[in-house]
Parts: sequence; C-alpha cells; structure tokens
Amino acid sequence: MLDFLQAVSDGVLFGATYALIGIGFTLVFGVMHKLNLSYAAASIGGAYCGLLILQAFAGAPPWAVFLLAFVGGGVIGWLVYLTCFHFIPLANPLSTLMSTVGMLLLIDEIIVHTTAGMPQNYPAMFDDVMLRYGEFSMRGDLLLVFGVSVLGMIALLLLLYRTRLGLATRAVSQQPVAAQLCGIRLMRVNALTFIVTGLLGGLAGAMIGASVGALSPLLTTPLTVKGLIVTVVGGLGSIPGAIVAGLLVGGFENVFQLYRGVTERDLYVMLLLFVFLVFRPGGLFAVKGGRD
Amino acid sequence: MDFYFGLAQIIGVHTLLGLSAYIVLLTGQVTLAQAAFFAIGAYAAGMLTVLAGWHIVPALGAGMVIGSATACAVGFPALRVKGLMLVIATLAFGEGVRLFFFNFDYQVAKGGVQLGPLGGEGFRQIRFFPENGWSTLEVMLFIWLFVVLAMLVLWWFDRSRYGAVLRAVGEDELAAQSVGINLTAVKVSAMTVGGAIAGLGGGLYAHYTTHIEHASFNILVATFAIAYPIVGGLASVVGTLLAVIFVQGVLIEGLRFLGDWRNLLFGALIVLAMNVRPRGLLDAQAIAWAKRLFTGRSGHA
Amino acid sequence: MKKLAVTLTAAVATAFAAGTMLASGGALAQDKTIKIAGFGAKSGVVRSFGVNSEAALLAAADVINKKGGVKLADGSKAKIAVEFYDDRCNAEEGISVIRRIAGTDAVVAIGPTCSNVAEPLFGILQKKVGDASDSGLQFPVFTDVAIKVGLAKISDWAFRNVPNEMTMYNSLFYWLKTTHPQVKSIYGGVEEDFAHSRATWYVVMKTRAEASGFAVQGESKWLLNDTNFATQVREMKKANADVIAISAHPFTTCGVLKEMQRQGVKPKVLVGLTSSSSLETLQGCAKQAEGMIIPTSFAPVNKEAKYAAETTAKFKGAADLHSMAAWENVFILKNVIEDAKISGKPADVQADRRKIRDALAKVKATEGLLGTTKRDEEGEADKPYLFVHARKGEWKVLHNPL
Repeated sequence: MLDFLQAVSDGVLFGATYALIGIGFTLVFGVMHKLNLSYAAASIGGAYCGLLILQAFAGAPPWAVFLLAFVGGGVIGWLVYLTCFHFIPLANPLSTLMSTVGMLLLIDEIIVHTTAGMPQNYPAMFDDVMLRYGEFSMRGDLLLVFGVSVLGMIALLLLLYRTRLGLATRAVSQQPVAAQLCGIRLMRVNALTFIVTGLLGGLAGAMIGASVGALSPLLTTPLTVKGLIVTVVGGLGSIPGAIVAGLLVGGFENVFQLYRGVTERDLYVMLLLFVFLVFRPGGLFAVKGGRD
Repeated sequence: MDFYFGLAQIIGVHTLLGLSAYIVLLTGQVTLAQAAFFAIGAYAAGMLTVLAGWHIVPALGAGMVIGSATACAVGFPALRVKGLMLVIATLAFGEGVRLFFFNFDYQVAKGGVQLGPLGGEGFRQIRFFPENGWSTLEVMLFIWLFVVLAMLVLWWFDRSRYGAVLRAVGEDELAAQSVGINLTAVKVSAMTVGGAIAGLGGGLYAHYTTHIEHASFNILVATFAIAYPIVGGLASVVGTLLAVIFVQGVLIEGLRFLGDWRNLLFGALIVLAMNVRPRGLLDAQAIAWAKRLFTGRSGHA
Repeated sequence: MKKLAVTLTAAVATAFAAGTMLASGGALAQDKTIKIAGFGAKSGVVRSFGVNSEAALLAAADVINKKGGVKLADGSKAKIAVEFYDDRCNAEEGISVIRRIAGTDAVVAIGPTCSNVAEPLFGILQKKVGDASDSGLQFPVFTDVAIKVGLAKISDWAFRNVPNEMTMYNSLFYWLKTTHPQVKSIYGGVEEDFAHSRATWYVVMKTRAEASGFAVQGESKWLLNDTNFATQVREMKKANADVIAISAHPFTTCGVLKEMQRQGVKPKVLVGLTSSSSLETLQGCAKQAEGMIIPTSFAPVNKEAKYAAETTAKFKGAADLHSMAAWENVFILKNVIEDAKISGKPADVQADRRKIRDALAKVKATEGLLGTTKRDEEGEADKPYLFVHARKGEWKVLHNPL
C-alpha cells in the first residue's frame, strides 16, 4: 500500500511537467486548430537558453536560469510561429504539421551541435530536501516544480479569462471569422498565442531540467509523446483538461511501472490512451466545437 | 557503382513507406501508424526466410498479408477518431507495436545457433540476399520491381473511380456521404492497402539491412512515412517519389560535403520546402505545367 | 515566383548531385596516399563519440605521416589520408556509407560508433572469405567503438579493437572479492532498451559476479531516456546489497546516482559500465559518482598514452577508451599494411583490401597503448585493462593489474 501511494505521489509530482507541455499543445490546437509538434523540443530549447546565463555569470542563482529559460522559450515560440505558421496559408494543415516537424529536427540538431550531445547539468532549488513521513518521502525540489507549474497554469488561466488578449484568443479559437469582423487582428493573436505558450514551455523546460538535474536531447521525444497523450486525454483545446490529464498520466505511468516493470510501462500508458479514445473520445473535458 | 545501387535500394524502400501513407492521406486520415505495419512486415518476412526457410517472394507476400490484416483491424477503431486525435492515436499504436517487438522473443535453434528475434537485442542475420548470391544491382532491381508495381497500382487507382472516391472523402466527408459514398468502406480499404504496401516495404527493409530491432521502427520512421507524401504533394504518386529522392538523395547523401552543416540543414530545408511549396513539391499546378510542357500547345485549353 | 522557386530548387539539387559525384570521386594524388576511411556517429547524443574518434584518427595519421608514412610493396612510402563519414547512428545510413567508402579507393575503414549500426553493417559483408556464392560486400572493417558482445564473428571481413567486457568484469569482481572480503552481495541497475548496457548486465556482470562468489540479489530496470528513478532506487534500498552495479550510460547513470543520494542509498562498492568511464559522467554527477569503480582499456598512465591524449587534443578530441581505440587502430593498420605489402595503386584497390583483411586475420597480438592486446579467431580483441575510480572529479587509477 505504501509502495502504491509512494508511486502515485512521485508520479503526480512529475506529472505537473507533463501538464505544462500538454497545455502548450492544447492551447495552440485550441486557437489555431493545428498541431505544433515542435513544442516539447522548443521547451527544452528554452531551458538550454537558460543555461547561457551561466556562461556569462558562473555563479548565477537558479532562479536567474529559470527566468532566462522562460524568456528564451518565448523567443523560440515566436520563431516557430514565424517559420511554420505565419507564411503558410491557414488552409494547409498538413504543411504546417510537416514544417513543425522540420523545426523539431532543427531545434534538436542545434542543441546537439552546441553541446556535442552531452547532458548539461541543470541547477535545481531544494534538491537536497526530502520531506519524510516515516517510510513515505517526497522530493523537495519536485514540490517546488509542482508549485511553480501550478503558478504558471494559474497565470495562464488568468491571462485567458481576465485580460483582453485572453478574450481575443478565446474569440479566435471559437469563431475566427467573426473575431476578425469584430476587429481582432488574427495574425497578432496567433503570434501572441505562440509567444505565451513559448513562455510557458520555457518554464516547463526549466522545471523539467531542474527535476531531472540535467538536460539532454534524449528528453525531447518522450516529452513530445507524453505531451500529446496528455493533450488527447485532457481534451484537445481544454486547459483544465490538460492539467488534470498531466497529473493523471504521471501518476498512472509510475503505478504501471511499479506493478508491471519498465519494459511494459509505456504499453499500458498507450492502452490508457486507447481506453479514453474508445469511451471518451473528446477527452476528460471535451470542448464543444464551434460552428466552423 | 554499388553505392548508387544501394542508395537506389534505400530510395525504393522509403518510397514504399511513403506510398503506404500516401493512400491513407488521400482519405484525409493523417496516420503515424505506417511504421508499425512496416515493422510487422519486416519481422514477419524475416522470420519466414530465416526460421522457416521460405523464399523471399512468398515471405514478402505473407508480410503484406499480415500488414494489411493488422491495418484493416486498426482501420475500424480509427473511424471513431477524427483529425489530429487520429494522429496521436496512431502514434500511440505505432509505439505500442514497437514496444511489442521490444518484448518479443522467438528463438529457434538452427545448426547450433539460436536464430530469431530476441526482444531488445533485435533480430539478426536476415541474410537471404547475400546467402543466395544476389548482387547489389539485383536487389535494387528486385526492390524497384515492387516499387514500380505499387506506383502503377496507385496511379491506376488515381485515374479510376476509386481514386476520385478517396479524394472526395479526403476533401469533405459530409459531402461525400451525401452522394452515397460509404465512408467506412473507403477509409478502411485505404488503410488496408496502405498496410499492405508498408508490410511489403518492411519485408524488403529487413532483408537489405540484415538486422532489425524495435528501435528501427520508431516515431522518426513514422514521421518520415507521412513526410514523404506531404513534402512531395498529394496530387500524384510521383510527388512521393520526388520527396524521397529529395530527402534521401539530396538532403542525406548529397549534402555530405557540407560536413556538420548537413544535419542542421536537414530540418531547415524541410521548413523551407513547406513554406515555399505548401502543397508539396509536385502539386496540381506543377503537374499541369509539366503536362503543358510535354504535350505542347496541343493540350486542351 | 513559384516557377522561380522550382527552378532554383532544381538547380540546387543538380549542384548537390554534382557535389556527391565529386566527393566520391576521390582526391587527385600528388604524393602517394593510402586512404583510410573513418565513420561513426556525429549526430544526436552520441555526437561526441564521432568527434573524438575522428580527432584520434586524424591525430594518429598525422603522427605517422610526419615520420614518413607507410611503406608500400615497391618500397616507396605513402602518406595516410583519413576521411571521416557521419552515419548518424542509423543502420541504413551506415550501410550506405560503407558502400560509398567501398566505391572510393579507400583500403580499409575504421568504425562504426554504434552497435546498432555495426550489426547490420557486418551482416551485409561477405560472411566467409572466398565464398563465391556469397554476394556480400568485400571490404575490411576494423571497429573502434561499437562494443556489443559478439559482433566480429558475423563476418570474416569484420575485426574489432574493443575491450572484452567478459574478461574485465571477471577480473574486477575477483579482485573485489579478494580486496574486500566482507562484501558479499550485489544488486544491479540495467538500462533495458540499449543493446550494449542490457547485454553487459545479464551476460557479463551478473554471471561474472556469481562466478566470483557474490550473491546476486536481482536488478532494477529503466529505459535509456527515463528521468524518474524513484521506484528503482527504492528497490535498491530494500535489497540493501553491498555492491551496486549500474550497467547504463552516463545520462541515466547520473540520474540514478542522484536519486540514490536523495534516498540515502550508499552501497559499500559502486561499479559502473565501461562506456561511462568518460568525461560525461564526471561532468554530470562527479559528486554522486565519487568512488565508482569502472574497468577501462585506457587511462593516461604511461608515456605513449599521455602522448596519444595530447596529440588527439590538438585535433580537438578527447581521449577515452573509445577514441584511443581508434588511435591504436591506425597504428595497427600501418603495421598490417606494411606486412600485407599492398601496391597502393587505385587499380589494385580490391586486391589490396583482400591482402589487408588476410593480414589482419593473421595477427595474433597487437601493441596497444596500455600493453599487448591479444586477438582471437573471431576477430575480437582482448585488451589490457585497469580499474579506475572517480575521485574528486577525475578518473584516477585504482588498480593496475598489468
């Protein structure tokens, strides 16, 4: 029983990072009805950018690295928008999909080239803190990651539901034509969506780097897959869905590993996805489609 | 010369992979599962030639049958899922198949040596071609026989009612249904044909690399499968072939003289290609232009 | 505008095609040159291996060339020209690369980096030399890095200069038992989805530990790109073994070691995988890896080894057991080429390759940086080794059995 609780607790804390990645995928899909496959890679890329500050100031505190990762993610997000979504006509979903694949490969290669493929140490806060209750323990740094992720999600929800930009974004996602008729500049909203998800992604990347202790190009593929699974389980376009789904997937993954071992773990995660697709294809919080 | 034959082999097998995605993409289903059928064909054909001693042609045939059967089985539940959810569902299926082969052990002792797939270690010594003295040229011609056959079949589909029906479903499902097209039959049949072609390609892949493992059929392969028809253009099968030549011939082998820059340019050039030609290298406009070029002004106005 | 784009693309494509032709056509010979091709992974997480191997090859060739080069059959000397190809750790590309190399006038190739490239690549080579019914490629390949157990026997044209993990770990566990008699049990950590690390735990470490009298209490498993090791380390804690052996590459090794520190798991002895005795592990987790013992076939302990490391550094590569194997290969090949008495003329290139293969097959012992390396009939090497351990951010020699 204790093992089970421990596995769930470890998994859910890690799941906060999956939730952040899932939010990024789901937000872009919700607004532009397109998939940005390079999102996880861009988030890790943002995290790498954070390390640049250590090149300039060797003793920089961890929060400075996280901040630069946050900003770096936003810049990369804008670049992805420019290269994959700005010039390609909106009616070509396949070509935007392919160009995001191209960006994924490009970002990966840039990371490999600048770091020679070797893992880079990432600063963490409270990584030597372990909260213990008898046999049960929780990692202090993961709690911080969880906390920061939750703050990020709250900030995003505030942005979407309390600001004009958020209003414009939601309008565009429901009815792009009507939104334009109301004077909302489509291109600007799309670009800003990418910058916002990029900022969130940079933060996610930094949190992932902090929880793993190192950044490596190995992280991009599993994050992309898990992020997509989280997006579908949560419901394409639903942010609360992505949050809950991220925690769920994180928890389940660890429990599967506890009972069935690491070689079958991912198979069960896929099965979980299929179960959702069969019984609840809209996801946990299915978003009702607009008239378009 | 052997190098060029080898490159042509790779282009041939990748064209089959691309064509298997092409036909499914025509119906508007974006599928990342083609690498899974590719893998099934590879393991099936490999096991038949190595463990059961079959000749390669029936082994490839069996690979095709199993690949298409699996694809058919996947096609039905895939109907429930639309658009980008299908992308993720097929991605998960592909990963599931890969993980299946990661755990798959089936070893038979032959002549004192254990042969067959061994889970994470892979399936080695699939040496039908070199053991039977096939030269690189002969293997290339053999592969291209199937590629040309597949292209002819798909081109014939394109010119027949079936092709029109496929594209109708791809363009607008509601409109297609309202003229009486059976969506289920069309989508599942496209998946099945795609699975057959992928199974064939996989069988050939196993034999020309002689060693396959779960990691040979990962997400990257699945992504390349749809990349070829998308980059090449869905207007014609030739587009897929052009895209494979572009990626394998130009980006991978042709740019070797750029040294390290080659890998960076790979992603960048794909992004560029999609921006410059969003409908693919060979879209309907380009085909019309080429037709005018070759038939001169005598083409109808 | 679109037409222009299409025409430009076509022109660029033609230029690249022309470039391919030129690149594979071979250089114009001014001095006499013998081409040795190198190939390996310069992409992805294994990029550093390819970069280091290339540097070692160029450095070794440079040293030989400065001393005059290799002697050909007619008594003249030829310089060694090294060309390195990137196979991106991909099987199809590796096969394409070796075919490309075979189409040039290179007489032998050193590589590949990845075991998952080596296996298919050896598979397309001719299995038994002289077998006319086997249409496999006839080109000698001398591997520096790909270390998965038992690959050279796939073909008569494949040879390897990689450490023999069976011998090394056998010796390590025996030594551990004699120097630490109170240490009795062992528990393993395995990277399951990577051929090398997986094979090394189950086939090598586990069996050799048992043979030396350790009680194997089990193993914890993870995958190559896992990031969360809490469950596995908890299993380790429960097992409470005296020795923990981690058969994994630096990324997950460091992840596991950090988790072990967090959960307070401190075994009496920590053993690692040969490939992890590199800079990567120390850069990642020097503090947590303190005291980890790894058997390796290279450490700068003598004059030749130090010289090799310094010279490779001049070509911007790091010296470790993998890149130094490449260095050794060039010198071994120099002797083999001279013994084989090749003509060095492009017209005789296939005959020269056969001579080199035959000469390589005859070699029973070679000189390595740490001492004499024995060679067996399968084409594998039995390299001298020593045990290093991590101390204050450096790999220091713990025990030198030589």
